[in-house]
Amino acid sequence: MKSERRGSWYLLTGAVLGVAIGLIYSWVISPVKYVDAPPYALRADYKEEYRLLVASAYMYSSDLVRAQNRLAQLKDDNPAQSVAMQAQRALAEGHPEAEVRALSLLAVALSQEVTPTAPSPDATQDSTSSPSNTSGSLPILNQPAVGPPGEQQVNLIAQDSSQTPGPLNMLDPSLMVTSTPTSGAPFVLQDSTLICNIEQPDPLIQVQVKDAAGQPVPSVELVVLWEDGQDHFFTGLQPELGLGYGDFLMSPGTVYSVRLAKGGQAVNDLTASECVAEDGSQYWGSWMLTFTQP
Amino acid sequence: MSRWTKFLIAVILGAAAGLFYGWVVNPVEYVDIAPISLRTDYKADYVLMVAESYQVDHDLGVAVRHLARLGSSAPKDIVAEALNYALQHQYAAQDMAVIQLLGEDLLTWNPNLEIPTMEVPTP
Repeated sequence: MKSERRGSWYLLTGAVLGVAIGLIYSWVISPVKYVDAPPYALRADYKEEYRLLVASAYMYSSDLVRAQNRLAQLKDDNPAQSVAMQAQRALAEGHPEAEVRALSLLAVALSQEVTPTAPSPDATQDSTSSPSNTSGSLPILNQPAVGPPGEQQVNLIAQDSSQTPGPLNMLDPSLMVTSTPTSGAPFVLQDSTLICNIEQPDPLIQVQVKDAAGQPVPSVELVVLWEDGQDHFFTGLQPELGLGYGDFLMSPGTVYSVRLAKGGQAVNDLTASECVAEDGSQYWGSWMLTFTQP
Repeated sequence: MSRWTKFLIAVILGAAAGLFYGWVVNPVEYVDIAPISLRTDYKADYVLMVAESYQVDHDLGVAVRHLARLGSSAPKDIVAEALNYALQHQYAAQDMAVIQLLGEDLLTWNPNLEIPTMEVPTP
């Protein structure tokens, strides 16, 4: 009886020891290695770099479908919003203007899902990695005669760049996806209103930019000036609030002036103003400025 | 069967269960990987994006820093590898041309003239 009980215990001890050895080996010594990982497994900062590359590549190709396919690999819940938020962060953190612009343009394009009309000869790719059936010789590629059987190798050899096609469809920002062009008559201030919304208690300068047809205009740069400095922001980076919407957080006690970067009427003497709630408490209101084209 | 034999069998069975659990049921998950761990086709597309971006800004330094995410090989080798993949998988001629353009410019790239401006995240 006693001997049988001892036997059961050492078998259990052996099994536990074995499990421990197995786990140590599989988790520590030789864990599963992911060498063929998809983009959605990238670390957050690498995902941001990936989005930036997608946006920059979109500036070149103006292929929105390809950009969407690439962004889909990140499995964001809302790719357009992710790009827009990254554009806002880039702007706030002072990243290069080209970076902010690329992200902004892509965010706007995604929110409207309109591909710019820049010419795109041979732009038939519709997938992420864009393989096509355009087999055949490629004059720009130097294929050495030697190499593993059945496998083509390519060497990069300096060539006269005139032999290669240049950018086929460089995107002119003026051709971007705005519903109506931003050129033409300068925007003028149509309305300036203090908005009291207790659910939005931060003192904001909120801007709506509309064209002559009353349609919101994204990617409009606005300049904010105050005594000690200046900043700028863009419309369209918060698509959920409207493509012509942009805002700026004021510091109480500071007097601001707002104008469109491309000129037009300036709005001066904007300061954080208080509103009074029903219970008598005070909170900050926001200035809503509406610019339109006459 | 001796007690030691049973003990060893128990250890082996336990180890097998542990390996099964660690490798299959609940393997180590890498959720914060670097681009170097991307699958080959994604790497090739990454290079294509870098090449397309380069056609916009013509900043070879930025392109090189992006390519450095894909491994420690020379940038031109990374591009050549992507070009090989693109050729084997019949990418559009336009895409291969863009990659080729980047590769050609990398042949004349001198890293000693580069001033690092991009923060390199630690893995």
